[in-house]
Parts: sequence; C-alpha cells; structure tokens
Amino acid sequence: MANTIDNKLLFSAKNIDKHYAATHALKGVELDVHEGEIVGLVGENGAGKSTLLKIIIGAESPTSGEMTMHGEPYDPKNPLDANANGIGMVFQEQSLIVSLTVGQNLFFGHEREFSKFGIINWPKVYKEAQQVLEEVDISNINPRKRVNELNFATRQMIEIAKVMNVTRQAGDQKCLILLDEPTSVLSETETKNLFVQMRKIAAKGHAVIFVSHRLDEVLEISDRIYVYKDGASVGMLDTKDASEIKLYEMMVGRTTSSEYYQIDKQSKPQEEVILEASDLGLAGIFKHINLKLHKGEILGVCGVVGSGKEEICEVLCGDEKPTSGELIIKGKKVNFSSPSKGLREGILMIPKERLFEGIVRTLSVQNNIALSNLKKLSKFSFVSAAKVKKQALHWIDQMRIKTNSPKELMIQLSGGNQQKVVFSRALASECDILILNHPTRGVDVGAKEEIYTLVREIAALGKAIILLGDTLDECIGMSNRVIVMKDGLITGEFDSGIYNKPSQVDVVSLMM
Amino acid sequence: MAIRNSGNMSITEEFAAKIKRDNQKERIMKLAPVIVLFALILIFSIVCGKDFASLKNLVAVLNQLAIPLLVAIGLTFVIMIGGIDLSINGTVGMAASLVGIFVMNNRFTQFNLGIGGILIGILSSVLVGFLAGLIHVYLRIPSFMVTFAFMYVCKGIGLLSYSGEPPTILDPVLAELPKKSFIGIPFITWMALIVLGICILIQEYTAFGRYIYAVGTDESILSAVGVSVKKVKVKVFTLAGLCFGIAGALAAIRLGQGQVNVGEGLMFPAQAAVVVGGTSLAGGKGGVINTIVGVLVMRVLSNGLVLMGVNPYIRTGIEGIIILVAVALTVARGAKVISK
Repeated sequence: MANTIDNKLLFSAKNIDKHYAATHALKGVELDVHEGEIVGLVGENGAGKSTLLKIIIGAESPTSGEMTMHGEPYDPKNPLDANANGIGMVFQEQSLIVSLTVGQNLFFGHEREFSKFGIINWPKVYKEAQQVLEEVDISNINPRKRVNELNFATRQMIEIAKVMNVTRQAGDQKCLILLDEPTSVLSETETKNLFVQMRKIAAKGHAVIFVSHRLDEVLEISDRIYVYKDGASVGMLDTKDASEIKLYEMMVGRTTSSEYYQIDKQSKPQEEVILEASDLGLAGIFKHINLKLHKGEILGVCGVVGSGKEEICEVLCGDEKPTSGELIIKGKKVNFSSPSKGLREGILMIPKERLFEGIVRTLSVQNNIALSNLKKLSKFSFVSAAKVKKQALHWIDQMRIKTNSPKELMIQLSGGNQQKVVFSRALASECDILILNHPTRGVDVGAKEEIYTLVREIAALGKAIILLGDTLDECIGMSNRVIVMKDGLITGEFDSGIYNKPSQVDVVSLMM
Repeated sequence: MAIRNSGNMSITEEFAAKIKRDNQKERIMKLAPVIVLFALILIFSIVCGKDFASLKNLVAVLNQLAIPLLVAIGLTFVIMIGGIDLSINGTVGMAASLVGIFVMNNRFTQFNLGIGGILIGILSSVLVGFLAGLIHVYLRIPSFMVTFAFMYVCKGIGLLSYSGEPPTILDPVLAELPKKSFIGIPFITWMALIVLGICILIQEYTAFGRYIYAVGTDESILSAVGVSVKKVKVKVFTLAGLCFGIAGALAAIRLGQGQVNVGEGLMFPAQAAVVVGGTSLAGGKGGVINTIVGVLVMRVLSNGLVLMGVNPYIRTGIEGIIILVAVALTVARGAKVISK
C-alpha cells in the first residue's frame, strides 16, 4: 500500500446513488481520500466521474448515500457550503467572469473583507491577489488585467489559484481540491507546472482529486486510482500497480452479447461512396480529417468529449463551416451555409438533445413528422391535413410508434417513441446520409433494442449512417467501420464486420 | 504519444490564434464609440462651421446633456444585467409632476414641502423601480413587459396628480436654479455630473458593482459564491429608478413646471446612447463610462442635425437606424466556438 493511505482519512463517500429522471447515473459509488494524497478518477464518458464531483462540491445532491469530511458527516447544500468545509473545485466549464479583472475574480464574493463603508480598497485586493497568484507560481500576470485578455491556459491557472484561495481561508484545516479535466486546455509545459502545484498542495497535507481522460497523466501524478464504469466503481489501484493497459481493461469491462446490437442483421455496405471528406478542418477544433462513407454503411465515430467528434458532425450537416479541406457528397463538391442546405443535398443530423433540438414538444406526432417535408405535403403553400395524417400513419406503422393517434402531442410519448418520431421525420425528408448523435441517450433498454433494429433497417435500405454512440460498446457493436478521434485528429480506423469487431481496449487506447 | 503532441500543439495554437483575433476585434470595437464621437464633431465643425464649433453651442450641448445622461446612466445598469427598462418616459414624468405639486406652486398651495417635495418626486420613481424589480424577479415576468406596464401606470399617476393642468413652480430658489451656473457649466448639468460620479463609484468600487457585471455574464457564478442574483437585480432596478427620479426632478426645475410630458421621447435616445457607447444588450459588458460617450454621440448628432436644419422626424428616424447599426455591430456572433 502507498504511504499516503496510512495518513488520516480526510474525505469519504459511501454508497452514493444518483438518479436522474430516466438514468441511474451513480450506483453505490465509494471513494476515500486521505490527507496529502492525489487520487485519480478514470472512466469513459458517462461513467459518472463528473456527477460524483458535482455531488462532492454540492452542485448536485445524491439520491442516497453518505459522505464525511474531517470525520464529520458532510452534506453540502451548495458549492459555498463545500468551500466552508474546505472543498474547492475547478470546473470543466470555466467559471471566471471574463469582463472582470483577475483580482476581482479571485476574490469574487469576498469583497466585504476588503471594503470600508462599502467602498472596496482595490490596491489591497490586488496586493493579496498577487500573493495568491505567486503561491501557484504565476507571478508574471498582472492581477489588474481583465480575464478576456488572457489565454485559456492562463485562465485555467487562475481558476486553480481561485480554488487554492479556499485552502488559504481554511487556515489550519486540511482541504480537498477537485480538478475536473484541468489539463484539456493546457500545453505540456503548463501541465507540468500544474502537476508541480498539485504536489505542493499535497505536500502541505491537503488532498487533490484529479479527473482526466489522459491516462498517462493520471498515472504520472496520482497516488491511487479509482476506476468507474457505468456509474459504479469497478476497482481501486495503487498507481505503482497500475498501467495504461490494466486501466483500459478495467474501464471497458465485460462486453455485451452480440444479439443486443442485432449484429447478425448487420448488412454489408455497398461499393458506392456517398460522402467523402478530404483534409477537413475547423480551426482550433479538428484538422486533417479524411473519411469515406459508403451507401448502406454505419460508420461509428469514437472519441472522448472534446475530441472533435461532435464538431465534425456539425460541419458535415452544415451547422458550422469548415475552415479547411473539402467535402464531396454524391460526387459533388459541397459548401453548406446552413443545415437546410445540407438537407437539400440529402444529409441530416438527428441531434443529441432530442427534447430541445429534435422535436417540437407542443406539436402533435403527425405535425412533428411533417416538419421537414411540409412543402411536399402542400398545395399553393397550404398544407394538406389529409396528407400530413396519411404520412404520419405510414410511419407510425413502419416504425412501430406507440401512440393513441397521430394527433397525440409529443410530450405524451415515451422517450423511445419520441426518438422514433424523430427518425420518422428524418426518413420522411428522404435524406441519404443520416448523422445519429447519441440516438439511444435517455431511452430505456427495451426501446434501445428497437432503435438498434431500426438503424439496421435504415442501413439495409442503402442509407449511410454516421453514428456517435452513447457508449463505446454500442458504437462498435452497431458499426460496419469505426474511426477513433483524439484531440481533433483521427488516430485510428477499424473494420467492424460481423465476425471481426475490434476490441474495446484497442479502441480506447487510441482515444485517451 | 508523439502523434498526439505534434497534432495537439497545432490545434491548440490555432485555437489560441482565434481567441487572439477575437480579442483584437474587441479592442477595436471598444474604441469605436470614441472614434465615432470625434468623427461627428469633425464633420459638423466642417459642415456647420462657427454655428457648431462655438463656446455658446458647447454650453447649449452641455445644457441639454443633463437629463439624457441621467436617464442613460440608470438604464446602463439595467442593460448590464441583461434586462431592459422601458418605464423611463413614465417614471421621469411622474417624478416631475410630483415635484411640481409638492413644492411652492400656483395650484396646490397646501402641499408646499420645499426640498421635501423634490425628495417625494424622486422617491416615487425609486419605489417604482423597486416594485418593477420585485415583480420581474419574483413573478418571473420579462423586464421589458413589467417596465412597459409601469410606464403607463406612472403616466397615469402623473396626470391624475395635477388633474390635467400642470402646476407652475413658484419657489424662488427653484425658479432661479436653471439660470445658475458654475465655471460656465449649468447647475442642472452639475447635478447630473455628481450623480454620474456616484454611479461610477458604485460600478467600480463596490461589491454590488462587481455583481452587476457577474449577473450579466453568468448568473450561476453568483449562486456558487452565495450571492443572491435576485437581490442584485432588484437593487439595479431601484438604482435605475433613482436616476430616472432625479432626472424628472431636474426636468421639472428646468421647465419651471411639473408635468408628465417632460418624460416624452427620453427612452429611445437613452437606449441608443447606452448601446452606441458599447454596453452589450446581452449584459456583462460596458458600463457607465461607455454611456457618457454614447450620450455625447447622441447629443452631438442631434445638435448638429438641428443646426443643419434637418427635419425632426428624419432625426428620429436616424436615431432608430443608429441603434440598429450599433446592435448589429455589437451582438455576439459565433459564440459556439468561444464557449468550447
């Protein structure tokens, strides 16, 4: 056992459960942190790491379970409460107010300590800000600078300085610092500097929880590593016993049976290339993207959040303009200025946030299906109600949508059936290329299987599909071919035929 | 590992370059209002010659500056939190009417409260701002709707208070004030400048001032440090009410009469001034100092166009076009990438 575990227990979480409406995000998670320790948390997207951190910092409350801090029961109402208990967090989304200066951000909410008769003594604020910055070894920044003039790496260091301030305020009390993907915007040198700071913090007896997609970093900096999968802890390792391969295997776990993804129904793609991207790039997000999509093919795109996979889909469907490279659809060079232009060429994305971007909740099933082909159902700009209904009945039958009538409102349907309506609308618009962005997010297991069957049927019709799976397992299981992305580049490509599915470990090792 | 590092660096660099470009653009945008102001002064000096570029005209501009400035300052705070206040015409008119009634006047001799009368006028507007804030925040009604409704309520109160015939102010001190000046600047403009100074102090040197920026940027940050967003918003609307109230009182004093009509036509130029000065309608950006430039731009423009003999209806049209152009230039586009 590492020496840190002999230290006094600082924080512990036992049996933490968290339910969101349809999903069971955390299932009895355990976590112990000792004084002076750096603990790494690893797991795929959706494994529950971020949810756990949000619970620890008080931004979310657990459905059940117990936490202790300094040996006392700990149940934070909000992040402020957590701060008072010596817990601070650097959020994935930055929480600085960009129109204010560095110093003003560092002491935001603590202005009273610097005020006399309500008037803030700014020289005093900036003097202390300088000290706080020096403590994290960034003395080259003037605390009077506005945050929007700084680059992202510097902003990240200021976030860390801001959280470090929590430890200053705690006095003799030991603190717990949560870092959620702090290195994603840092360069190598900056990451090294961050690690030095983390060690410094730990040397003072404080503890750090470090979440990163980059396993090499986790292995480098942490004392112990917890591995999460599907909202449960699957194991805890001493870093000296861990290796990247071992962690990959634990993160991936067992594979699901092949029937689940209807793999026997997987059809062979046709020869014809329907979409081709060459050297496609979006400045600062991704570049050098080369891919070919065939008729009837399901192409899975794997990668962690921030790998650029979402943005590629946005570019492909016309929501965002590429800054380099070209896109050829059906042999024709295209340059979309909007998703509706993309649809005209036969490409359509079914968005991830179904409820916000995919459906109009207050419209009926039939009107939702008709949304993207209303012109075809109209005469002299007047929509034919009969045609709208006829079309809806066709798809309700075809897609096995469970609804009492085509006039039923979307909000009255279950998540899986809503998704089927979204699919119907996409097919009714007669597109040839369908981008499915997490098509099974937030639907129950039974509905998932039906969606898999539908996707197989759509592919068999000769439509090409680009799939961003909700899990890696799903992405590999469903696809004919898989491309892997990391930090805006394609790092690998696998054939994924019925009998030669790539192993998840192979794919994950290219993702992280 | 090697692939990631080489690739990652260039993508990161691209991203950094993009941010840098955005920042440069923003810096230019920051200077734009000042450039516009000097350009206007230059153009009118050439076109109108001595009529425009004279001490007499400068004093005239300063004289006209006070009330638009006060109104625009109050509005600036509201816009900085991402709201809007359309009550201006009403609150200013109501404050002016009540001031007229509660000082020595030709109609209501029983109410002469002297300086207290002025305070009553101002307080009525503060109260309206406070109520508008409360209703906006607690009933979750959009601020434009609440304040628009209050505009009519206030106009009604103003008209009813003097039952149709506006009182003429007879108080000897107040009647003399508009003619008083100090180092060439009219007394009423001095009052506006004092309020301006206090507002700059509030914006720059109080916690409340910092919170105004924060509310406009991202409300969740405030709740994370335990600051009440609701309180900040109510305070902002109350402060705006105070500014409108003072504007109303000064308007009554300048006119020598307390009537609702002094509020007419104030709102739109004020919105234009705030936006032209560079305060973003989305909130979080800009401030009182920007608004000074914005008000000067609007006043110089109006003054110059009058001297050129442009039809007043065309002038109003020009104001409308200016606000559209200013909003089009400052509205945030391509936010998708920035919020990566």
